[in-house]
Amino acid sequence: MQNPFEGAKGFAVTLGQIFRKPITQQYPEYKRPVYPRFRGRHRLHRHENGLEKCVGCSLCAAACPSDCIRVVAAENSPGNRVSPGERYARIYEINLSRCIFCGYCELACPFDAITLGNEFELSEYSRDDLIYTKDMLLRPPTKTMPVADRDLYDTPDPVWKRES
Amino acid sequence: MSAPPEQVTITIDDRSVSVPKGTGLVESALQAGIEIPVFCYEPRLGPPLGACRMCLVEIEGLPKLQAACTLSAQDGMVVRTSATSAQAADGQEGVLEFILLNHPLDCPDCDKGGECPLQDLTLRYGPGTSRMVVQKRTFDKPIPISPLIALDRERCILCYRCTRFSEQVAEDGQLVALNRGASSIIATFEDEPYRAHFSGNVIDLCPVGALTSTVYRFRARPWEIQNVPTVCAMCPVGCNVWATTREGKVARVLARNHPEVDGGWLCDKGRFAHDHLRAADRLTEPIRRIRMRGLVAVPWEEALDAADEGLRAAGASVCVAFSGGETVEQADALSRLVRQGLGADVALLPDDPDPALDAFRAPLAAIRSANVCLVVGDEPVLERAPIVDLWLRAARRGGAEVVTVGPAGAIAAPPGSAAAICAALAASSPPEELRELARDLREADRVALVWSGDDDTGGRHLAGLAAALELGEGSGAYFLPRTPNGRGVAQAWRAAGDGRGIDPSGDEALGALIVSGDEALRDTRVVALADRARFVLTTAMFMNEAAGQSHVILPGTGYLERDGTVVNLEGRSQRLRRTVEPPGWDELAFFAQLARRFGVDVDPWTRAGVDELAALPARSGTAPVVAAPAARGPQRAAGAGGDFELVRYRALFSGAAVERVPQLAFQRPAAEVELPGGDASRLHIATGERVVLRSGEVSRELAARVNRRLAPGVARVAEEHADGLADSVRIEKA
Amino acid sequence: MAPRHVVFELAESADVTRLSDYERAGGYESLRKALAMEPAQVIEELLASGLRGRGGAGFPMGRKASFLPKPDQTPKPIYLAVNADESEPGTFKDREIMLRVPHQVIEGILISSYAIQARAAFVYIRGEYLTEYEVLRTALEEALDRGLVGANILGSGYSVTIVLHRGAGAYICGEETGLLESLEGKRGQPRTKPPFPAIAGLYAAPTLINNVETLATVPRILALGGENYAKLGVENSSGTRVFSLSGNVARPGNYELELGMSLRDLIVGIGGGVPGGRQLKAVIPGGSSTPVLTADELDTRLDFDSMARAGTMLGSGAVIVIDDRCCMVQLALRVAQFYRHESCGKCTPCREGTRWMVEIIRRIEQGAAGQGELDLLLNVCDRILGRCLCPLGDAAAMPVASYVAKFRSEFQRHIDEGGCPFRGTSSLEGVLAPVDEHHARARARIEVPA
Repeated sequence: MQNPFEGAKGFAVTLGQIFRKPITQQYPEYKRPVYPRFRGRHRLHRHENGLEKCVGCSLCAAACPSDCIRVVAAENSPGNRVSPGERYARIYEINLSRCIFCGYCELACPFDAITLGNEFELSEYSRDDLIYTKDMLLRPPTKTMPVADRDLYDTPDPVWKRES
Repeated sequence: MSAPPEQVTITIDDRSVSVPKGTGLVESALQAGIEIPVFCYEPRLGPPLGACRMCLVEIEGLPKLQAACTLSAQDGMVVRTSATSAQAADGQEGVLEFILLNHPLDCPDCDKGGECPLQDLTLRYGPGTSRMVVQKRTFDKPIPISPLIALDRERCILCYRCTRFSEQVAEDGQLVALNRGASSIIATFEDEPYRAHFSGNVIDLCPVGALTSTVYRFRARPWEIQNVPTVCAMCPVGCNVWATTREGKVARVLARNHPEVDGGWLCDKGRFAHDHLRAADRLTEPIRRIRMRGLVAVPWEEALDAADEGLRAAGASVCVAFSGGETVEQADALSRLVRQGLGADVALLPDDPDPALDAFRAPLAAIRSANVCLVVGDEPVLERAPIVDLWLRAARRGGAEVVTVGPAGAIAAPPGSAAAICAALAASSPPEELRELARDLREADRVALVWSGDDDTGGRHLAGLAAALELGEGSGAYFLPRTPNGRGVAQAWRAAGDGRGIDPSGDEALGALIVSGDEALRDTRVVALADRARFVLTTAMFMNEAAGQSHVILPGTGYLERDGTVVNLEGRSQRLRRTVEPPGWDELAFFAQLARRFGVDVDPWTRAGVDELAALPARSGTAPVVAAPAARGPQRAAGAGGDFELVRYRALFSGAAVERVPQLAFQRPAAEVELPGGDASRLHIATGERVVLRSGEVSRELAARVNRRLAPGVARVAEEHADGLADSVRIEKA
Repeated sequence: MAPRHVVFELAESADVTRLSDYERAGGYESLRKALAMEPAQVIEELLASGLRGRGGAGFPMGRKASFLPKPDQTPKPIYLAVNADESEPGTFKDREIMLRVPHQVIEGILISSYAIQARAAFVYIRGEYLTEYEVLRTALEEALDRGLVGANILGSGYSVTIVLHRGAGAYICGEETGLLESLEGKRGQPRTKPPFPAIAGLYAAPTLINNVETLATVPRILALGGENYAKLGVENSSGTRVFSLSGNVARPGNYELELGMSLRDLIVGIGGGVPGGRQLKAVIPGGSSTPVLTADELDTRLDFDSMARAGTMLGSGAVIVIDDRCCMVQLALRVAQFYRHESCGKCTPCREGTRWMVEIIRRIEQGAAGQGELDLLLNVCDRILGRCLCPLGDAAAMPVASYVAKFRSEFQRHIDEGGCPFRGTSSLEGVLAPVDEHHARARARIEVPA
């Protein structure tokens, strides 16, 4: 035996919600701010004098659990000074299709040269395009993501932001 | 045999261990499974130095901490390392703190980072933080002390391993310490570049990143590499090495201690010449000579067809020229193709060591413990088999009598007289100047005989002398072949057939010539044969050498790209391991396929079965009954009116591989002629002056270098600077 | 008690630098006496005398000589090395001995060589001692002409060669194994012991090494007789010593005294005390490497055991008197600078530790040091002490540690007041070594062919 009002109760709920503001977020038109410590696409950093912070030590590659970083180092010369130390990264590639965004590379880096940014929109039509080269990582990201106000969270500024 | 050494029992960290009397404390502790950390201690470099103080331990009954490396085990000794003694732990932490005071923390930059004893020991024994607030000592860096080695004085912890190697092992005396106290630095003597055959070993020895290889510099980090155990096939010694590869390329070669063969040392050719694998003119595809079109790259199958066709047309008129660098398996495949498949029976072998020598086998390490060492022949041992030179030096340091007899020997002998010397020494009444030596040889317990000459019959003469001296256990006769695997190639050729004809003399046309390898292409006899051959099949690594007269050229492989067996000068079979992939088929695969077309079944795979650290096979055969060899030297042209006998030697730093490594260019022999002191002053020639060497129509202008050890009337030139000169030359000032 | 002279006895009334004068005063009689004895008897005589080495360590000479193998026990020749590399700051006794009684030194060398049957004796003389070298050389030539040195000495059948070798200015070559390395033509760096020089010394042959004063005493011991010599001085410290008195004292100089007198006797009685009415602050009793004594400890007696009880050493007998004008931090800095400069660079604690010590003391003197750095300095000293290859590290750490221990409040004031409380009036002001420029810069690049 079915209570005829049962169905009406259901409709009442629907009716009640229909005039409320929907909580669905219209991505990509609307981009919800990510947490300040969200780990997205990597960035490589430079010193203020323009030299790259990365010296090509490969510690990030050693720390990487998914083995997606490849570094080939070379020696700085007076005519071609790329980093402050003796060596620099001639090739620095991250295969973002393999990256699990664990942030170990950031932790391993002795010079705070690599950090994980906020960008998460990393889809491409080809896998090859997901191999980010040094130039791409050094450039500021083309897409920017809104970030939630740091003050809302008990989150200290990352070192690289404090220093450079 | 002497009685086994007395055993003593000592207690280390409450663990009791029994070791032979005289064993060092560091080794004794290791036997008990306890580590005593060290930096400067390295037994191969001679007596302990006790400089770094890292090995401080507490010994019961002694008030102060003691350096364990300088002490040996005494019965009843009670030793406490940092594991159980707070005093020793403080001592080691203190030493590390002192070492790190001035050591820059540029580990991310440093090539040693990740495989650095200082990093490891700091982690285990060192202080967590630094208490030093003042400036660190700074130096210019890096300083290239040679094109191969970069020196970083900031990182140097002054363990004096490198200078001790230079002074006490290689005895080149080129690395020195300057200044004193906190400003002590390592430098080269008079700031000259470090040019020596064994310079690269100081890189291995350095416990920090102060001495680094410029070739390997920044190429890889320790966690990105694979180390493949293999054997160096650059000279007949066959040093055991690690080949370090990264991303499928050889990045460096390191010594891998085989105590019987190399003692953990490696010459610069073995260490640095690996970059020839990536030379610009390296062949990667088969090439075929096509009428009107010249040399054209073709697929492997087509090359196989062309080789098949060319060899079939030649019938049995085929000659094969070996390089001596092939593996036994390659030589076997080629020999069986030629002897069994084609029915031909002619080969040019680079070396032909006498099987009689097998009765006098001994490990190279036996040289060190010999009482008397005799070196005969015209070629410097250092250039032919460099590690043998180190063993001879070790023997001399140990008090052995090391006598060289030859044009530059302590006992002067004319060029090409090595056989006669052997005969004379074996005879019952040797001539006056050899009498003392002959007596010493007969009276000595342990004798090492070394033949370092170009005479193919040398093995027989040497074996004759060895038989006459009745060499027993602990003594050895070492014939130094020209080529890395000359001994193995000759064995393989013999095994493949009934052992007839070797020397292709005569001048009739040849059906086909198979040239195996780049070194064979440089042999003038091979070039002459190629002129007579209707079809020339060549395997070569490099285009320059191969182009000339070949009809089909197959890309060859380097020794680091091969799997197989090589036989070194001791007669020891050692396993070559493929460390990186060759660009195409290797020779063994190609010749196995080719052989199958001629009905010979050759296994294209290398049989496994030779151990990494192969033991020297037991002495085989009985002592040969060799009559005293006839006093006959190698075929030297009779004096053609010249006033100097010309001795040519093959420099170690020569050949196709070395030429393709720019960093090794400075090691190649200078364009100079060595002249004896007396003759030089008679002709008023001083070192550095230009002189002209003439024989017939040929003349060469070279710089003179006065060598007072040369016998009068002898001039010595590296082979590559003696092109076209006869055995007898006139020399005058330019 | 009138000072009894032994070493300088013959030189007291006459100039004995010439051979004829020396012989007239009774010189070379002991040599004749020794040559008439068996070598072992000579060593017995030395043992009986209780003569302890005068170089600094104070090891009994007779015992050291008896450690050497006899000529029939070793296939190698036996050598005597004479340490005339007097470089300890404050010490200037050997130069006076060589200048005034050169023949007595040679006679001592000959007797000692005979006792150990040495085939050659090598005199390693400090490079800066040019006059002393000339005097010794002249004396040696005279002795050679007279047949006292060389083959078949005085017809005894014993032959020995004496070689004079001038050093090139390294303190460390006064350390016995460093001296041997330098004699062999190598870098002057100490060797690790064992093997001791008595077994494998110069050219890996058994070698006896003795100080000039020790050897100059030997002929007098034979003249007096070992037993008689032993009656001089006090127990365990027999005989006399030449003390080099210097510093803030009225009458500095070399004084030969019987062992066992008190420091006060020497400084106040003989030396005339501190001049100008100033207060005595401290005394360095045995050369710069020995721990300091304060004014309260002036009654310490000058013999080996009393000094050891006071926590210091008789060392090389260089007594340096320091008055109240001297800043002890500056003294520590000067001493540390000396040892940093003279460290040979072989073993880690000495090479790095001496440099660090200098830097810390400099910061204290400049008032840049923090509160913890005094303890850090003591800890650095601790980590050098007893952990080095040779005694140089100890020689650097011991005195500095003693300055801090005994004058801690003065060090503390430097830190608290942010600078030197003497405000430029210290007597050591301006005599500190500048920061050595060559410590900072490496040599030029090595040119390498392309």
